[in-house]
Amino acid sequence: MQTAVANANEIHGHDTHHGADHAHHELSFIRKYIFSTDHKVIAKQFMAVSLFFLFVGGLFALMIRWQIAYPGSAIPLIGNILPNSWVSDGAVTANFYTQLLTLHGTVMIFYVIIPLAVGMFGNFCIPLMIGTDDMALPRLNMFSFWLVPPAGLIMLSGFFYDSGTAAAGWTGYPPLGPTSGPGQTTWLVSLFMIGFSSIMGGTNYMATVLNKRAKGLQLLQMPLTVWALFITAILITLGTPVLAAAIAMQICDQYLHTGFFMPDNLLVTAPDNTYVTNAFIAQGNQLLEHKQLLGGGGQPILWQHMFWFYSHPAVYIMILPGMGIVSDVLSTFARKPIYGYKAMIFAIMAIAFLGFIVWGHHMFQSGMNPLLGTTFMLSTILIAVPSAIKVFNWLGTIWKGNIRFTAANMNALAFIATFIIGGLSGVFMASAPVDIYIHDTYFIVAHIHYVLFGGALFAIFAGIYYWFPKMYGKMLNENLGRKHFYWSFVFFNLTFYPMHILGVGGHMRRIYNPYIYEFLQPLQPMNQFVTFAAIILGFSQLILVVNILWSLKYGKAAPRNPWQSNSIEWSAPAHPGHGNFDTDIVVYRGPYEYSVPGRESDFYPQTEPPSENEVPVHSGH
Amino acid sequence: MNFDLSKGLEWAYRDMLTFFPENVSTFGAQLDSIFALIYWFSVATFFLTYGLLVIFMVKYRYNEHRKAYYFHGNNLMEFTWTLLPTIFFVGLGLWSDGAWSKTKYASRVPKPDVEIDVLGYQSGFGWQFRYAGPDGVFGNKDREQITIANPFGIDSNDIHGKDDFVIISPGGTRPIPIHLPVNKNILVNLSSNDVLHSFFLPNFRVKQDALPGQWIKVWFNGSKIGTYELACAELCGSGHYNMRGQVFIDSQADYDKWLDEQYKISKPVLEAPVSSDTTIVASADTKDSKTTKN
Ligand code: HEM
Ligand SMILES: [Cu+2]
Ligand SMILES: [Cu+2]
Repeated sequence: MQTAVANANEIHGHDTHHGADHAHHELSFIRKYIFSTDHKVIAKQFMAVSLFFLFVGGLFALMIRWQIAYPGSAIPLIGNILPNSWVSDGAVTANFYTQLLTLHGTVMIFYVIIPLAVGMFGNFCIPLMIGTDDMALPRLNMFSFWLVPPAGLIMLSGFFYDSGTAAAGWTGYPPLGPTSGPGQTTWLVSLFMIGFSSIMGGTNYMATVLNKRAKGLQLLQMPLTVWALFITAILITLGTPVLAAAIAMQICDQYLHTGFFMPDNLLVTAPDNTYVTNAFIAQGNQLLEHKQLLGGGGQPILWQHMFWFYSHPAVYIMILPGMGIVSDVLSTFARKPIYGYKAMIFAIMAIAFLGFIVWGHHMFQSGMNPLLGTTFMLSTILIAVPSAIKVFNWLGTIWKGNIRFTAANMNALAFIATFIIGGLSGVFMASAPVDIYIHDTYFIVAHIHYVLFGGALFAIFAGIYYWFPKMYGKMLNENLGRKHFYWSFVFFNLTFYPMHILGVGGHMRRIYNPYIYEFLQPLQPMNQFVTFAAIILGFSQLILVVNILWSLKYGKAAPRNPWQSNSIEWSAPAHPGHGNFDTDIVVYRGPYEYSVPGRESDFYPQTEPPSENEVPVHSGH
Repeated sequence: MNFDLSKGLEWAYRDMLTFFPENVSTFGAQLDSIFALIYWFSVATFFLTYGLLVIFMVKYRYNEHRKAYYFHGNNLMEFTWTLLPTIFFVGLGLWSDGAWSKTKYASRVPKPDVEIDVLGYQSGFGWQFRYAGPDGVFGNKDREQITIANPFGIDSNDIHGKDDFVIISPGGTRPIPIHLPVNKNILVNLSSNDVLHSFFLPNFRVKQDALPGQWIKVWFNGSKIGTYELACAELCGSGHYNMRGQVFIDSQADYDKWLDEQYKISKPVLEAPVSSDTTIVASADTKDSKTTKN
């Protein structure tokens, strides 16, 4: 095995690969379950924290939805127990509404999707799927997780300021961002920390994939999940520092009166008129004239460039791991090699490369030189091509397959279905002149959710159903899994499809009470429909929680390879301990050798030695 | 909680394209037609891909007596489904660029018949508009002279600025409307003194962020007399939703009449955006104002 020498000095010795479970020194409870360096424990920690935040973010969303459906009426059940600074007569205030939508977006992107897609699956899958004992840098890995809970607490703590938490949207555009209260600062600090966590994870994944692959495993024999996570790690490592820099600059604008993002002579007031930062002077409702306390000479759209230079690649950080997972799940359950393995890798690379030159499509209407709009439009439109390649290859994969409809596979198929719609809505917005009208409307909200909920989250569900047995040594309940899938899929579409229509009707996003506008009044019944669907969608997720908890306690013990799958992780013990494998791993072929003609069984694990006289299968294409 | 299910299901039985608010600008039809093209392309792609997806799911569902087809892919197919979308998308990009450059490039703004300045404002949430006054010429703008009473920073030394008139329209359900003539090229110089806003005229297919520190040219040409709504489309604070404005597109005669009235009022007294007990004279020149209260 290509185990790094340094690794011998880790808590477990080199020789513990044989009989991994027992040869370890007994670790204290704390080192084993809390400050653990075991990638699998860290993956579970990411999963637990992110699923918690999924419910927090979901709750915010439902409060937002209730306000849009029935503005000014009390939120059922919880409206009357919330503090008075948040609600009046049980209905959210405009100020609190803006905080909710800001935190909803931030939490879902930075505390749910990224930690699940990258933190959880990156940690769990990479070492197991490349046949090694742990990450290249296990302690860095532990730090990368342990930044997340404090960052999350800081993020939520903003709510307890009198002036509330951040309320400038998940995009935090200046001048609104730096001129609002201390909630914006907690928001910035928290993002800075989570960004650091990402960078640590990203470097670690790259080092691991490049240095720690099992004997015989070539790059072009790695499962697409590993490829996707590897490319994602590159995106993270190149993109996140730019976000971190932008955040630091915004903090400086807020407290040191620098002027990175602040033009001269602003007349600004705190959004709620109660809190006054030292950056400007306002009293109650009365704005006092003054010029100099705010830095000047800067450019608000510099922030947008920096933010989207990270955040566009970030949308691929969120979706690429899902694309990898879906590829592996589909191939396993179609009992068929992935269609166009190399084309898939090429597409991932093309998406990653193009992803760095399209950020301006978020800024078509920002006041950036429209000439740049033309360039960004063309690059954005091109990024739809590798997306299309991937869809066709997935369709090719199930073509003439022998498809098993497990809960994992249903979620993977649903991913394809929703990603098609999300990709198509992307084409509308990619056309800059069309984007003039739909920018900052619900059309965008529909797009985001088709790719992030329908895409990334369904892929994450697929991954959870698929790898849970290896994670916990227990099978999830398939029946509950299917129920969770059906309810989620139906109500996901009923919630988010109509938002396209609302957007075409001109419905702006981030609007506390749309019905001030006459042209939006006819859309209220659809908004109510969406809200009811969203509530059911939210509650459907409880099925997943029940399933996980129930299965942990009463679930069937998982066999080593419950899905008759090829990839290396299924050669590990049913519930691998620290060190992962109980045999020496040697890899003989790519991961997609399903239904090989002339073989008795319809799968052919990567680690199974070829039988004598067998013509070796040419790997990985 | 009343809820009308049949209305709530409108998205399901009405064609998406019918939900657009009526288009009343000259370039709007072209933008809508690109939308429609992508829409029909999407419908076709949707049926193609979903058709295959469903057929494969049904036809190749699990059967223990069958073995899947061992096949790693085909380069000709990869090539085809790379090339076809590329051709379509490049075509779409080129066509889109025609419409984009026409509507947004500063070099292609048509010669304006009417020019106004517009600011979005955050302290109270609404819009400020400036017309050039009877002399038809705007006074110079001087950033150093920006105050709450003079949001445009009209240079008090410039004679052309003396007759400029400013309308400060609060948001909400009763904004102060502005008027513009029908079938004329309107040029809006757009900016902000505080945070970002976005000037959104749904019926005109116009949207442009207002960027503090920069004046951006926005143009349109309204082809139908009527009253239309103006919205803010960029989050600007908790009153963002309330930044509603109103635009009347008038016949030239009605528009002239309205202008004359404005000249007579000359220094309109306005709802103060900052506090309700002070009235702010929205003019650079406060001396000859008849309506000063503060
Ligand atoms: C076919 C591929 C895609 C294209 C052409 C595309 C295009 C676009 C464009 C042009 C916008 C800006 C729209 C506007 O604000 O006016 C946008 C927004 C967005 N896209 Fe995509 N997109 C694609 C795929 C994705 C994927 C895969 C994800 C995430 C996994 C994603 C996530 C987002 C998000 C989160 C926003 C909204 C950001 C915000 O303003 O809050 N997109 N997309
Ligand atoms: Cu983007
Ligand atoms: Cu606004």
